[in-house]
Amino acid sequence: MGWVSKVEIISLGTLISALTWSSILSLMAIGITLLYRTTKVPNFAHASFVTTGVYSATIVSLMGFHPYLGMFLGFILGGLEGLVLFYAILEPLRRRRSSIFILMIATLSYDILLYGLLNVLADDLQTTYKILARMIYYSRLDFSIGGVPGVAVISLLALITTVILLYILLNRTTLGVALRACMENTALAQTLGINVSLMLLFSWFIAGGIAGVAGALLPFYTMCGPYIGMLYIAEMFCASILGGLDQIYGAPLGGFLIGFAKVALISVLASFVGPWITEYAPIIPLAAMAVALVLVPKGLVAIKIRRG
Amino acid sequence: MLKVESLNSGYGKLHVLYDVSVDCDKEEIVAVVGPNGAGKTTLLNSIFGIADIYSGSVKIDGEEITKLPAHVIARKGIAYVLQMINIFSELSVEENLRISASYAKIPDIDKKLREIFEIFPILSERRKQRAGTLSGGERQMLAISIGLIRDPKILLLDEPTAGLMPLYVDLIIKKINEIRKERGISVVLVEQNVKKALEIADRAYVLVSGQIIFRGSPSDLASEKEIMRLYLGMGE
Amino acid sequence: MQLPLNEIALFMTDFLALFGVYLIVTISLNIQRGLAGIPQFGLMFAIAGGAYITGNMATRIAVWILGIKTDLDPVIDCTAVLSMVNPMLNTQPMTSFILILIYLAIGATFGAVLGLIQVAPAIRLREDYLAITLLAFAEIINVIATAYKPLLGGAFGVQVPSVYGWAGGYRYGVATLAILVIAAISYLYAEYLERTPLGRTLKAIRENEVAAASLGKSLVKYRAIAIVIGSALCGMAGTLWTLYGEYVTPTYTRFYWTFLPWLMVLLGGIGSNRGALLGTAIFVALDKLIIYYKHSFEAFLPFDVVWLDYILLGIITAIILIYRPQGLLPERPYIPKDIRKRIEEKIKQF
Repeated sequence: MGWVSKVEIISLGTLISALTWSSILSLMAIGITLLYRTTKVPNFAHASFVTTGVYSATIVSLMGFHPYLGMFLGFILGGLEGLVLFYAILEPLRRRRSSIFILMIATLSYDILLYGLLNVLADDLQTTYKILARMIYYSRLDFSIGGVPGVAVISLLALITTVILLYILLNRTTLGVALRACMENTALAQTLGINVSLMLLFSWFIAGGIAGVAGALLPFYTMCGPYIGMLYIAEMFCASILGGLDQIYGAPLGGFLIGFAKVALISVLASFVGPWITEYAPIIPLAAMAVALVLVPKGLVAIKIRRG
Repeated sequence: MLKVESLNSGYGKLHVLYDVSVDCDKEEIVAVVGPNGAGKTTLLNSIFGIADIYSGSVKIDGEEITKLPAHVIARKGIAYVLQMINIFSELSVEENLRISASYAKIPDIDKKLREIFEIFPILSERRKQRAGTLSGGERQMLAISIGLIRDPKILLLDEPTAGLMPLYVDLIIKKINEIRKERGISVVLVEQNVKKALEIADRAYVLVSGQIIFRGSPSDLASEKEIMRLYLGMGE
Repeated sequence: MQLPLNEIALFMTDFLALFGVYLIVTISLNIQRGLAGIPQFGLMFAIAGGAYITGNMATRIAVWILGIKTDLDPVIDCTAVLSMVNPMLNTQPMTSFILILIYLAIGATFGAVLGLIQVAPAIRLREDYLAITLLAFAEIINVIATAYKPLLGGAFGVQVPSVYGWAGGYRYGVATLAILVIAAISYLYAEYLERTPLGRTLKAIRENEVAAASLGKSLVKYRAIAIVIGSALCGMAGTLWTLYGEYVTPTYTRFYWTFLPWLMVLLGGIGSNRGALLGTAIFVALDKLIIYYKHSFEAFLPFDVVWLDYILLGIITAIILIYRPQGLLPERPYIPKDIRKRIEEKIKQF
């Protein structure tokens, strides 16, 4: 009896919402993990890459297209932001053999810079187009398949497509194999004639692009403003760490665990103790990360590998 | 073939090498020996564009390669076998070799693979195995093969026998000598194992505190009792 | 344009107060990062903690010490409660002084506890994991402060007793003085700490964790000590800033209370207290000038000037990192006097 009633507590709507959020969060986390693998730096500017995706959707919709098409613009703009960060800031620092800690501050400062620019953009959109550019929400523009909101389907498809493409890229193309070689042993890759900085630059474009895609999906899920990336940056890192910062395909695992823990668990809790608890939802990912760091600092995927 | 002239280099502000000149002729094995921290690895890193060069020049067949980035130098017919972490342990043995060959624009990779497996038959048995599971000696063979499959004119080897069992040490040293003879490759051999290195070397350099203090034939070096005792730990 | 004298005085007080608070924070950062090598990207956590706990407890404690009998909630009904508290405090400088000390002690303790909570999951881990954890944990303080109404009355914030009210027209001057005194003590303490065995141990760990561990120095213990000291200072900074403004809302942001202090320390030179002093002075002056002349800028810009702040500071940081990573006044190696004498004698011999 207890089991059945607990299942009923999680409504189908909550599960779909959890699925959507997990997919979007996974897309965000994949980029963080990829960059950590290639450049060995936690990229704090990922927050703004995601927000850039949000405004890509806004721009596309102002141009008269469906905001879902913002995914493509988001990929390009996010990718370009990653490209600029690596080429203009990180690469000169790397050449000076700066410590990882200096690189982290550099990504933090780039995030602040982009945050300022995104706010300027939002102000500009607000005055020029008379839209509420700090309250971007496209839920009413979304389609639905038998009651399931389109964003759930699109996010999951975007995630699956991304993972498959990434797998093909890394395992079936010369470029990808070279990138993997750089991830594993930069010095050796260099001696084989692989242009390591070019490979890293490429990884920053890809990671920024994926973050942009995730950002473009976000306004279909929740109300967005220039702050939205910063709001979720802690959660992105939680997902990435939970999956294992060294495991690219661990990121979706972390994303789904964190996403479901946050959305589904909190709704179960809410039905027991009251709806006030939902305001504390952001604490769940952090708690999960804290537990993971203490028990399995290398991430969940590492457990499987150690056994196998 | 390879000509390093009055090289000053290091890492950022850390000046390691002072006016170092080294050269290596065709089909020659040149041993660079010296105590720990003398700058032997830095010498190879400088040749390969990994360390920072302040002044001096590095030439291959008269072509200036000083200050070129490493990935460009890698295409100039020179292969560098790093010390210790010199294979992709996540990839299989064959994948390791194939990556290296594909970036060297080798036309017939399968033929090259067969050649490599003739030199090191054990690698053929392990070809599908993850490189991380190889033993220390097998790793070194793979590392040398990764360099060799690029069909280089010059092979830079950084302590290929470090940490190996005596059996493997002899094998590796023997193979290096064979490779040079059969394939006409020049070898710059940086070694801790002075005795073994001098057995196959045509000429030797002794590097101490970033400076060359001896150049000459191995037999001449053997008669320099002072150097052998003070810096190379050889003699009574 | 002629500025009236009291406007200049007001500007200076405001500048010095903010400078003092930021100096405490940058000194704290210097102890955590400069001395112990902890990449404290979540400074805001302890600062906001100190500020919010002061907001929550200050009126409660004042009511209790002054012996006021009331059923009103000191947070939710703070205006009504303070209308009883403040007139009494205005005539009792001594009680006010004791209250300030109590608040500081609470701010420091709470800050230290938060620091420990923040660092606990990653205290054994590498620098990058540590940085992520510290940053991520700092982000939740505002979630809690906004959600948990009894803490600060929700998003609108809470008033605190006017502990400098007895000084009348000079209250802001006195408040600034109090901040500067604590800042000066923090500065001298940091200078002293560097010269103690503890300071040297922390530096040894910063330079090479493995080597320090092999000498029997516990990484966990010393990281915890540095975090506790640093976070206690941050907590006091939060308390002082709340008492200065007599008001607190859950709006401490990463930009102002983590990023800016980092920028100040970077400009001055990580690990150098003189550098922190200089960097803090430069940035607070810049900030104040920008705010003061904001209206003249606004005429030219089609957006809010505050965003220009973000853009410029982001660029400035990148430039400092690339072109002057050691800062303006870099850390100098500290060599104890007796050893320095011996070295000098050796040099003379040659």
